[in-house]
Amino acid sequence: MLIRCLLVEKEGQGSGDHQVTAVIQTQNLSKWYGNVLGLNDVTLEIEAGITGILGPNGAGKSTFLKLITGQIKSNIGSVTIDGQRVWNNFSLFSKIGFCPEQDSFFEEMTGWQFLTSLLRLYHFSTAEIEEKADKALEIVELTEDKHRAVRSYSRGMRQRLKVAQSIAHDPAIIILDEPLNGLDPLGRRKIIRLIKEYKGEGRTIVVSSHVLPEIEAMTNQIILIHQGKIFAQGDIHYIRDLIETHPHIISIKCSDPRQLAQKFIQHDFVLKVNFDQKKGSLLVETNNRDKFFGLLPVLFVENRIEVEEITSPDDNLQAVFDYLIGK
Amino acid sequence: MTIKERGYTHWDGELRDGRFPWWPITRMGIKLTFKRRFFKLFFGLTLMPALVWLVGIYISERLEDFKFMMEGETDFLNVNPLYFKTYFTNEFLLFMVVMIMVFSGAGLISDDLRHNALQLYFARPLKKRDYLTGKAAVIFFFLLILTLVPGVVFILFKMIFAGNFQFFVSYPWLILSVVAYSLLLTTFFAFYTLLMSSVGKNRRYVSILIFGVYFFSDIFSAIFREIFRSQYFFLLSIKTNLQQIGAVLFRQRTPFNIPWFYSLLVIVAICLFAAYLLKRKVRGVEIIK
Amino acid sequence: MNPTDTGKFAFFIKSTKDVFSFFFTLTKKSRRTKIFFILSFLPVFMAFVVKFSQIFQLSRDIEGIYIFNNMVIAFYLQFLILILALFYGSSVTSEELEGKTLTYLTTRPVSKSSIIVGKYLAYSVIIVFMVTLGVLFSFLILNLSELRDLSLYRALFRDVAVLALGLMCYTAFFMFIGTILKKSIMFGLIFSFGWENVIQYFPGSTQKFTIVHYLKSLLPSVSRGRFSFLLFRLEPSSTATSIFMLFLIAAVFVVLACVLFTHKEYILKD
Repeated sequence: MLIRCLLVEKEGQGSGDHQVTAVIQTQNLSKWYGNVLGLNDVTLEIEAGITGILGPNGAGKSTFLKLITGQIKSNIGSVTIDGQRVWNNFSLFSKIGFCPEQDSFFEEMTGWQFLTSLLRLYHFSTAEIEEKADKALEIVELTEDKHRAVRSYSRGMRQRLKVAQSIAHDPAIIILDEPLNGLDPLGRRKIIRLIKEYKGEGRTIVVSSHVLPEIEAMTNQIILIHQGKIFAQGDIHYIRDLIETHPHIISIKCSDPRQLAQKFIQHDFVLKVNFDQKKGSLLVETNNRDKFFGLLPVLFVENRIEVEEITSPDDNLQAVFDYLIGK
Repeated sequence: MTIKERGYTHWDGELRDGRFPWWPITRMGIKLTFKRRFFKLFFGLTLMPALVWLVGIYISERLEDFKFMMEGETDFLNVNPLYFKTYFTNEFLLFMVVMIMVFSGAGLISDDLRHNALQLYFARPLKKRDYLTGKAAVIFFFLLILTLVPGVVFILFKMIFAGNFQFFVSYPWLILSVVAYSLLLTTFFAFYTLLMSSVGKNRRYVSILIFGVYFFSDIFSAIFREIFRSQYFFLLSIKTNLQQIGAVLFRQRTPFNIPWFYSLLVIVAICLFAAYLLKRKVRGVEIIK
Repeated sequence: MNPTDTGKFAFFIKSTKDVFSFFFTLTKKSRRTKIFFILSFLPVFMAFVVKFSQIFQLSRDIEGIYIFNNMVIAFYLQFLILILALFYGSSVTSEELEGKTLTYLTTRPVSKSSIIVGKYLAYSVIIVFMVTLGVLFSFLILNLSELRDLSLYRALFRDVAVLALGLMCYTAFFMFIGTILKKSIMFGLIFSFGWENVIQYFPGSTQKFTIVHYLKSLLPSVSRGRFSFLLFRLEPSSTATSIFMLFLIAAVFVVLACVLFTHKEYILKD
């Protein structure tokens, strides 16, 4: 199994466009827990916008996030935010918001007290603290329950409160470790929408998750991590295109799949054709998406085939991830 | 929609409770306690008094050989019920028992409360009494090693070193005294420790309570005795109550001039109070006010 | 707020004040604090019982000041302040690690030193208040008939000051221990009721390696009474030396705790 680490050039780079400054930079970042390697020689840059950190449980996502938020010290390498080292640099935290993964609170406080007490540490005035706390609680829809003790909150409410404390002070950089854990589908949608809004405001958001659809719903910019190593970084579609050894699969539901198949197999960039009996669709494997999609409408028109649906089942994060880790 | 096929079958036999449903809890509790750093060393240190008393039993049978060390005074090496009572009621042993409770007993229920594990326990076919029995059995294990085991070993080795059964013939009731006092001490500390452990979710807080309440009782007893000049204030002290009962069980003169059954009443009352509170505190559902 | 704008020291003070306010508010209402409050008021209950019995002549006639000096102060000095300082001192860091709430503090724009100092001060204020109230009420109840004697108040002030100094010293020490050791309670109990109780009676310089030696040096010697041994000091140091040493011990352990907490990595188990 060949594991490839892809450091992807972004589209548009080197073409004379403006230089995009990295917000978070790591250089040869490595972390051991005793004999267990948590993170292995990670060098990358994270820019403004939403970056998804994706990997299975135990991949090193939380380790990475803890390193970039200064919770733990690296054994080798360095991490900087806006050019400043992170470890023991508390002044950076005025512009960083961190939502940790663990479900822990000062249980005897109410939600309101929890938020306002933490906001006090930013040296805001009392009026500002109340305004920011109110706003954050409104965003996460905890306004009605703000005077209840945290220990009486449900799992979802606790998670929302955690998100609230990470955004209450309007940080420019928001780092969220599995922020959608414990949320119901509606709650998830709202947080995803919020994160996308923050992107529109020019903030830098780093989100980690092991749930692929969550990341896909938020961003195209991903960092794939597995066994402490970065497998790939960049646009999900671009990464997918670079995986040359694994051809693309396109599924087509149409009125006459067999006729379409007959036309496809005449071209050398079509590697395989399968019929999915259950769905009644045609699965085509190709090593050249551009040529394939150039041919497709021509064939439809020439042969008067009615098209119902065209999808790319493997052009998603799961497939990319599976290919990269050699599944 | 009917289920036409199922890949499992129900057990058609009789469903019975396990014989010792509390045993897995005890086994795990003992295992986890031994895993704690320095516990083995500390527990070994608590067995030092037992070793010293055992050496004393050996020397008592070899007085001639050790006469040069004794300089005439050998009364304290008479191995008799007083010798046993001195071991079981000495302050160092009681202090070490409390320290063992701090080390091994503080987290028994408080850790379960902290991690919301009670729901996991009671979602299984486990009754409250099984849970508490399992936890208490952990304490029984460690304290009986400190009390019952040395007591029995002393009797056995006395006979082995003497080469005859004379000691047993002279004091046939002594083994019962050892068992009775060991069980009393262990039962009391089991109730006491579990009660303290159920009070808080923080192990450190519970450790302080276990230690603090025990010594508070002693200090206040001493202060009130000094002010009121009444021996009855000895009843406020856990330590003196245990020493009173110990003296009675080993058929010795009680150290304090108060009826021994008052001490027993105090100990039993604390146990009953602890049982009542434990019954209320330990439940599968946490009620948040 | 950027620290370079307002001066690092001023920023440190402000951060410490905010952390202090955070933990003072949180701790004063906690259930544990209420339990410790009750424990520290047990001498007040005892004082009530004694006074009640003296009024009805149920006990022997002992001077209130004798009971206060020999028993109440001895109880606070040799027992209660050790328990309070051990619990609250070790909680400064252990609580955040066990509760996994450390992240919330270390991801704010406050230095780790100000977290330590702020929390230490919050806990110290609470326990000094607890003990002061207990001592004050015990004093008032036991000396009800001698409240016009102003010299007693000087003794009260001295006793409260000694207990407060002792609390600050012990809390700083146990805070430092809590920062380096996981099993700080066991070590603390052995230190408090082993080392402190035994070494203070060693002649020569050895006794100076205990905190209680300096505390007792600030109190008058007690020659009579069954409990005189609790307040007995072997070779007391001078008042100036004792006060200096107590402040020095507190300061050194606070600084050490700050340095350690700042540079040590704490890994919260998931």
